[in-house]
Amino acid sequence: MEQSTSGTVATPASRPDYDMDIVKKFFTATVVWGIVGMLVGVVIALQLAWRPANLGLPWTTFGRLRPLHTNAVVFAFGGNVVFTGIYHSMQRLLKTRMWNDTLSRIHFWGWQLIIVAAAVTLPLGLTQSKEYAELIWPIDVAITLVWVVFAVNFFATVAIRKVEHMYVAIWFYMSFVITIAVLHIVNSLVIPATLFRSYPIYAGLTDALVQWWYGHNAVGFFLTTPFLGLMYYYLPRAADRPVYSYRLSIIHFWALVFLYIWAGPHHLLYSALPDWAQTLGMVFSIMLIAPSWGGMLNGLLTLKGAWDRVRTDPILKFMVVAVSFYGMSTFEGPMMSIRAVNGLAHYTNWVIGHVHSGALGWVGMISFGMLYWMVQNIWNRPLAYPSWASHHFWLATIGIVIYTVAMWAAGLMEGLQWRALDDAGRLANPIFLDITHRLNPFLWLRVVGGSMYLVGAVMMGINFWKTIRGPSAPAGARVEGV
Amino acid sequence: MSKETNRVLGHADESDGIEEYDNPLPDWWLGLFWFTIIWAFGYGIHYHFIANRSQESELAAEMAAADARWPTQAEAMAAALSEFAVTAEAVTAGEAIFTQYCVACHSADLSGGIGPSFLDEEWVHGGQAADILRTITEGVPDKGMVPWGGILSPEQINQVGAYVMSKHSEATGRSIEDIVAAGAPSA
Repeated sequence: MEQSTSGTVATPASRPDYDMDIVKKFFTATVVWGIVGMLVGVVIALQLAWRPANLGLPWTTFGRLRPLHTNAVVFAFGGNVVFTGIYHSMQRLLKTRMWNDTLSRIHFWGWQLIIVAAAVTLPLGLTQSKEYAELIWPIDVAITLVWVVFAVNFFATVAIRKVEHMYVAIWFYMSFVITIAVLHIVNSLVIPATLFRSYPIYAGLTDALVQWWYGHNAVGFFLTTPFLGLMYYYLPRAADRPVYSYRLSIIHFWALVFLYIWAGPHHLLYSALPDWAQTLGMVFSIMLIAPSWGGMLNGLLTLKGAWDRVRTDPILKFMVVAVSFYGMSTFEGPMMSIRAVNGLAHYTNWVIGHVHSGALGWVGMISFGMLYWMVQNIWNRPLAYPSWASHHFWLATIGIVIYTVAMWAAGLMEGLQWRALDDAGRLANPIFLDITHRLNPFLWLRVVGGSMYLVGAVMMGINFWKTIRGPSAPAGARVEGV
Repeated sequence: MSKETNRVLGHADESDGIEEYDNPLPDWWLGLFWFTIIWAFGYGIHYHFIANRSQESELAAEMAAADARWPTQAEAMAAALSEFAVTAEAVTAGEAIFTQYCVACHSADLSGGIGPSFLDEEWVHGGQAADILRTITEGVPDKGMVPWGGILSPEQINQVGAYVMSKHSEATGRSIEDIVAAGAPSA
């Protein structure tokens, strides 16, 4: 039985019998896949800086390991984090056990099998070549089936809830479950040719537009809305403060889910896409600034009155930095979607820096905060090494800064050098490879920043291992924040 | 944010103990949201209906500006062609350029690789000096040959052309005079 840190929670006698085993399963998978995915990230960062790291084998080259990295961190780490948080918080928020324990387990083992299948097929070179949707059609079918199992269980649990009012986190989870299903199915429509090969039903520009409608909203509805849901549950729980504004949460939720879905064409500026569609992608991106910042504001302002604890509590530190990076990258993104800025930034390392300020800064840090809070609460134990959480926080934060600053510098440099003309109107840097070589110091800096982030995550894994295997807190004792 | 009430809504029993305040939207946040919405409409209408912009017109304007700023480029090319000559100095300078830019595809001994050999009788894109210099200048983008006109100066193109022609002459015995001879470029 779970022991709560909060005095406001229902007494044990009235508490339903929640399925905590499924939460622990997803929790464990999260930590394992997180470390694997980040390790592959460091490996491919090294490959770009130092070519011999490709090992000269087809299975270990950058081209095959890069999709392995993105799939591992987005769908294996990110997916399992979200499922951990959803299975934990939705049972408590809806005051009911999950509708069907078997479906929960089919979801868990199905998702892990999909990850293993991805980890085997991608290095073998089996791919659909669509970014963030590389997996071949049999795996896509498996994802669809597992997702339907999850969705049925999710909505059935919502239907049997013991509360009338649905807390804001649940809205965000719903947008995730519905939208990811639609995105995945529409973008993965193919005609199978053999077991490993297929042809997309879309051609040319239509294929590109569908792909970026998917790609952009994978960021929006896989890495943003469910994580905002997690923030709305775990941040006020960890801070023990009321959410700043209920009204703001309603307005920014609906504004975000309505506006996000139209912004995909900003990935295709200055392409064969018609001008009007490019304009649409750009202006919808600009209109996303305020709805995104609504989430950041509600997070930061919820901490009003708890700022003294933010200085000492690593969990709150992780969350504050996460929300700050969320605000930063959701401003940077719309700026990069402005035609003139995009003309400079597109195809440069700036884009990689932008993605990672969101992924490492927002998704990673909010996840770490949640996991540190959760490990103590669901296993009812104090952290084995409280000071390590603090070291992890600083390693990760400094690592992100090194990573993103290096990529901004690299991106601006190559963007400006590609377009520079000399006095006679010729390219000032006519040899593309020369510019590529100049990137190398920045690529090495990225290896350093990424490695710091990885080391922090490994420390977290060891800390969790020791915590879970350590002695539980005495009965009735309040587990202290680290 | 002076309008904060910090009044608790009282949903906590339905949200696992999490209270929510009934605070209004921050004015500056709401102002920012309205500003971006109005800007979005304004930009779209201006871009498409008032300024009538498009990426094609943007490209045309940039190219026209470049033509106005560097008007002599085409003339400089023509002038350089008329001055073309295979001299010892040109061949030496051309060898350095060839080593830097051309060996990746045509190999250090000019025997070819990704691109064709210069040591045989065959010229895919014409074997007269004018053809060779034009091929270097304009490239053959479909086959991967870079248009070097935007990268090398007309003088440098003459030099690297002279180097290639002298090597071709050495290998095949065809005379420089025959290559440079005026008249209709070969097909």
